[in-house]
Amino acid sequence: MKTPDLASRRRPFTFWAVLVVASAIDIAATRLLGRPGFPPYARMIFALLPIPANLVLLAIIVRRVRGLDEFLRRVHLEAAATAFLLTALAVFIDADLEKAHCVGPLNVGVAWILMAAFYGIGYAIAVRHYR
Amino acid sequence: MKNRLRVLRAEKNWTQAELAGMVGISRQAVIAVENGKYDPALPLAFRLARAFGKNIEEVFVWEDNAPAEK
Repeated sequence: MKTPDLASRRRPFTFWAVLVVASAIDIAATRLLGRPGFPPYARMIFALLPIPANLVLLAIIVRRVRGLDEFLRRVHLEAAATAFLLTALAVFIDADLEKAHCVGPLNVGVAWILMAAFYGIGYAIAVRHYR
Repeated sequence: MKNRLRVLRAEKNWTQAELAGMVGISRQAVIAVENGKYDPALPLAFRLARAFGKNIEEVFVWEDNAPAEK
């Protein structure tokens, strides 16, 4: 029987560690951009600051997806499709509600939280479907 | 498509996790295949059959009237 090697056991830790670092950089960059007094070149650096960590996160996610078996790939594909479509629907509805002056401008951060929540819902539905 | 995975696994006295480990897939995948909820692609079907020392036709049975997937 195959036993997971040390590298594959470390992968979940690596993912969460990079996610925390990337999120911290995102938040720090947003806060720095909210402060006045920085010259334009510094503001541009702050805006681009989250890119490297997020690219590392992307590479980790792609590697993990490639390491999944065909069944789990299907489950995650269904979860991703659910998250993508429901988030798009939510954003479009929010835009229409904004035009109708029912809600204020959309905070992009909320869209990401929604996408994560919809991904979880899509994953749960797919797992339940194939159980 | 029907399969005899559960019966063959019981004959060998293997757990789902053991079979999954032998074939290199998740236990969830074994559960889904056993319950007929997921039809594996050919390479995985061959690997599963080989794990039991059987030909693919002895493990997976094609039914002409069966829906593609539940």
